Amino acid sequence: MNAKNLYKLCVIGSLGVATLGLTLVFNASPAAAHGERSQEPFLRMRTAQWYDTRWNPQKTAVNDEAILSGKMHIAEDWPRAVVKPNRTFINVGSPSSVFTRISSKVNGTPMFTSGPMEIGGDYEYVIKLRGRLPGHHHIHPMLAVNGAGPIAGPGGWMDITGNYADFTNPVKLLVGGTINTETAGLAAGYFWHILWLSIGFCWIGWFGIRPMFLIRARVLAQEGGDALLNDPVDRVVAYAVLGVTLLIVAIGFFTTDASYPYTVPLQAGEAKIKATHLKSDLTVKVLTADYDVPGRALRLTLQVTNGGENAVRIGEFTTAGIRFLNTVGVANNMDPTYPPEIMATAGLNIENESPINPGETREIKIDSRDSLWEVQRLMDLVHDPEQRFGGLLMAWDEAGNRHINSIAGPIIPVFTRAQG
Amino acid sequence: MPLFRTAEIIKASKLPPEGVKLSRMIDAVYFLPIAYFGVFATFHMHFDLLAGDWDFWIDWKDRQWWVTVTPMVEVMYPGAVMYYFWTFYRQPFGATLCITGLLVGKWITIVFAWYWWANFPMNFVMPATMVPSALVLDCVLLLTRSWMLTAIFGVWAFAMIFYPENYFIFGYSKQPLVADGQLLSLADYMGFTYVRTGTPEYIRIIEVGSLRTFGGHTVWISAFFSAFASMLIYTIWWQMGHFFGTAYFWVKGKRGKLTRTNDIMIVGTDEFAVTHGAIPNGGLPVGITMAEGKS
Repeated sequence: MNAKNLYKLCVIGSLGVATLGLTLVFNASPAAAHGERSQEPFLRMRTAQWYDTRWNPQKTAVNDEAILSGKMHIAEDWPRAVVKPNRTFINVGSPSSVFTRISSKVNGTPMFTSGPMEIGGDYEYVIKLRGRLPGHHHIHPMLAVNGAGPIAGPGGWMDITGNYADFTNPVKLLVGGTINTETAGLAAGYFWHILWLSIGFCWIGWFGIRPMFLIRARVLAQEGGDALLNDPVDRVVAYAVLGVTLLIVAIGFFTTDASYPYTVPLQAGEAKIKATHLKSDLTVKVLTADYDVPGRALRLTLQVTNGGENAVRIGEFTTAGIRFLNTVGVANNMDPTYPPEIMATAGLNIENESPINPGETREIKIDSRDSLWEVQRLMDLVHDPEQRFGGLLMAWDEAGNRHINSIAGPIIPVFTRAQG
Repeated sequence: MPLFRTAEIIKASKLPPEGVKLSRMIDAVYFLPIAYFGVFATFHMHFDLLAGDWDFWIDWKDRQWWVTVTPMVEVMYPGAVMYYFWTFYRQPFGATLCITGLLVGKWITIVFAWYWWANFPMNFVMPATMVPSALVLDCVLLLTRSWMLTAIFGVWAFAMIFYPENYFIFGYSKQPLVADGQLLSLADYMGFTYVRTGTPEYIRIIEVGSLRTFGGHTVWISAFFSAFASMLIYTIWWQMGHFFGTAYFWVKGKRGKLTRTNDIMIVGTDEFAVTHGAIPNGGLPVGITMAEGKS
């Protein structure tokens, strides 16, 4: 080894040691979420609009049940760049199967298999979970859309206490008896894999105990080598292995078949879910919308008509699972368990907060302003391929009835304060 | 009377005792670190890319695609590796080596990736086995000593016994249950109950296709189709083994004529040199190239 090579090795070694050292110096905390902020804003704002999400309870013991529930509105302004929701599946965004899912219903219909959803439709989901892996977990409802990918809803923290070793997931079979999905068929699986691998290794070993390669190659290259290598004892063993293998397969198959006389194939149906629709006395038209980049605010000018019989007041604007509320919203729709990191309780400012009377049409300026626009990376809206926003506008009448309108429209970014 | 012909074979190899000893060391080094680990690493990757999901998840093991795709993918490497081991060494364990190697790789993944890292129970990600199929394939090659008959009968059996040989492992998962008023198989329910954030239900490619005739005997129709397709695939991969496993030399003779020779084992022997006139009287003339080619 010359000096140059020695030098190169020293440099590479030093880099390796330095890398190891850095890992000790910097504390790399484990990833706790699912990259939901990395999804483009237009994808989060104009596809599934999540609201009323609940994580209940937020602390669960192993084997205890919890409910992830809420509603989502499939936006009328679904982007052209995203495949339409012709095949969807309501899912749970979690770090592995920390909960098992016991039941999942959308508008009261079980959703074991995927199915279409209607643009403009409103869906209420209730997902029943059972605590499995102890820890502090970030859990999202998630709408998976075939061809578009998963669209994550708001994420909330759920704790599971206890010991994983205590977890069981008993399931009652139609033919009688109960089976634990954690261990069902495990012993049989181990047994057959070990058995067949052992026979396979013995087969290879039978030839491995004799010269394997070089000697046989030299013999094979000679006249009569092929015949010499055709050892009669190998043929006897091959007949035996062939017969025993087929016999074991036949006996195993028919025995298993007899053990499970009632079986069904995998079910590949389609969930048929009937959509409901948002109800509101208000008619809302987006006149202008701009995005104040330095001010981190979405500024809307809306024309609102109250077609109902009661006066209503606007209280919340929610988009991408992030909620902007004013005092009306806080009074009517404040859920203390909703994750504070995705809620701005004083983030909605309305120029004229007086009630909109029945029959009245009013032009309203709304400003949803908070650092959440930046923290949740919704300010990246300016980099989207389609400059439009979307979200749900919520208002309440005096009787406490909620009126929800899905709004959307083109948006103009304002890059400097002078422009605003 | 000795059990094996080993003594005769060693004698015929004309190797001195130290050569025999060295050849056994080469066997050990070549077989385990190179052949076995090399095959299981590359075959595992190849298999996971082409048929991975059907093997990973219990709720993908259907009567059509799982039965069709798995043998077709698992017969590929054995085709090429069997060519190599049989043609050069008359060793009939190419298929078993590939399939056991693949299975060892799968189990490493199951324990380290699926169970320890992703926390799925092992029964949920239990792989299928094709070791019995591989044993049948190897035995047919040894007994018929014909790759064509092996392709016809051995590969046919290789694919046809895939479902029965796995039914002992997965039969339990086909039992019915009722959840929220819907009939599901246990496998469906396990796929539902163990949350896979990145693998929604619609990703499954199951029970889709036209192999449904003959009164619902979907498994056997799929297995027949898979068997015939596997025969074709096996012959193609055997030929790939031939292409990549063949070394030949271009030899320039006495009169300067280039001759291609495939018999690489004889190259370098005195007999070869004399036959081809490369060394007319014991010495290599200036300007004569002994050998060049590809391997």
